[in-house]
Amino acid sequence: MIMAVNSQQIADRQAMEKIINRYPPERRFILAIMQDLQKHLNYLPKEALKMTADHVNAPMTVIFSMATFYKAFSLVPKGRVVLKACDGTACHIKGSNVLIDEIYSCLGIKPGETTADGDFSLETVNCLGACALAPVLVANGKVYPKVTPAALRKIINEYRGQDNDSNTSE
Amino acid sequence: MKVTIDGIEIEVETGKTILEAAREAGIDIPTLCYSEAFGGQGVCRMCMVEVKTGNRKRFVASCTYPITGEIEVQTKTPELEEIRRNIITLLYRRAPNSDLMKKLYQDYSCSEVKGVDPEESCIMCRLCVKACEKVGANAISTVLRGTEKRVSTPFDEESPECIGCSACADTCPTGAIRVVEEGGRREIWHKSFEMLRCEKCGGYYSTLPVREHVTEQLELDYADDSLCPNCRRKKLAKEVAEVR
Repeated sequence: MIMAVNSQQIADRQAMEKIINRYPPERRFILAIMQDLQKHLNYLPKEALKMTADHVNAPMTVIFSMATFYKAFSLVPKGRVVLKACDGTACHIKGSNVLIDEIYSCLGIKPGETTADGDFSLETVNCLGACALAPVLVANGKVYPKVTPAALRKIINEYRGQDNDSNTSE
Repeated sequence: MKVTIDGIEIEVETGKTILEAAREAGIDIPTLCYSEAFGGQGVCRMCMVEVKTGNRKRFVASCTYPITGEIEVQTKTPELEEIRRNIITLLYRRAPNSDLMKKLYQDYSCSEVKGVDPEESCIMCRLCVKACEKVGANAISTVLRGTEKRVSTPFDEESPECIGCSACADTCPTGAIRVVEEGGRREIWHKSFEMLRCEKCGGYYSTLPVREHVTEQLELDYADDSLCPNCRRKKLAKEVAEVR
């Protein structure tokens, strides 16, 4: 068991190294590196931040400051399925709070949280620019327009059945 | 180059900031995030002044505005007072536990506000971050964003970079950084340091990593000289006197 964890860690480390080494060792690539890491690992592990700092020869404080500043980055693992509920003006009026409540009753997560099994994360976004489709929900990049609580349950069930492979295709 | 600040005409070198020029001419512009050692940061906006070039009038942060042409500057207009009062009101609301903010809040006779967190003293001027950077440690920075923003070490853990110099706490205008010195140890930013004792007066004055850092930076050898700043000054003064 311990061996398995270690080999997983080594594989993760190699993956991170590969991503980081794609960029020249300059500070201006910090954001791009972190975006790539976030995309591939679903979060920014401490080790990844350290490796980025070493690569661009910047203090850890600079990296950490940026990693906590942008909402696009997460320091804890995000769910396999990231639900983005739009809570902009139009969606808000069209009842996005009902959707957010519905997600809570289905999955037990509030905005910013991830289910214990690591399947779902919920985020709110301020506007997706698709106000005509309000209320909008985005699940792993796919846009669901005019979502009703019933439709939401269907969407969640749709994603619940899938296994881990579905997320790796970009 | 000639500039006029509050009606006083002064000769200034190109590139000097309005704040520097004003202070040299004895005109006081209030600041919170400015330190002569670090230069202007443009963070607190307390040093806003009115700059007039030709017919155009605008407000700029004097600590970061380099003088490159003949300008007319006003540092104390009712509009500027209002800007400063607003800044003070907001900062007092954020950091009601700071004596400095309490005083300024009174001095500027700000409208009544209630502090958000009665324990908070930090006004986010970033002087501590700058000091840490200048020392060369880079142990602290601002983290998070918006109302949650604060100064901390990465992951709120003890930082391997921190040398316990307490430059951050020394430069903090509001005493917001906690430093505990007890029983020959200094605790700061979740880290505990053994302190150095002055070989002359016996007082604790710094930490071991600080001495190593200074020795390394200055390529000096302090090995047989452990003096607190006070005793060092006395020793130097004595040496100078002897030379004379």
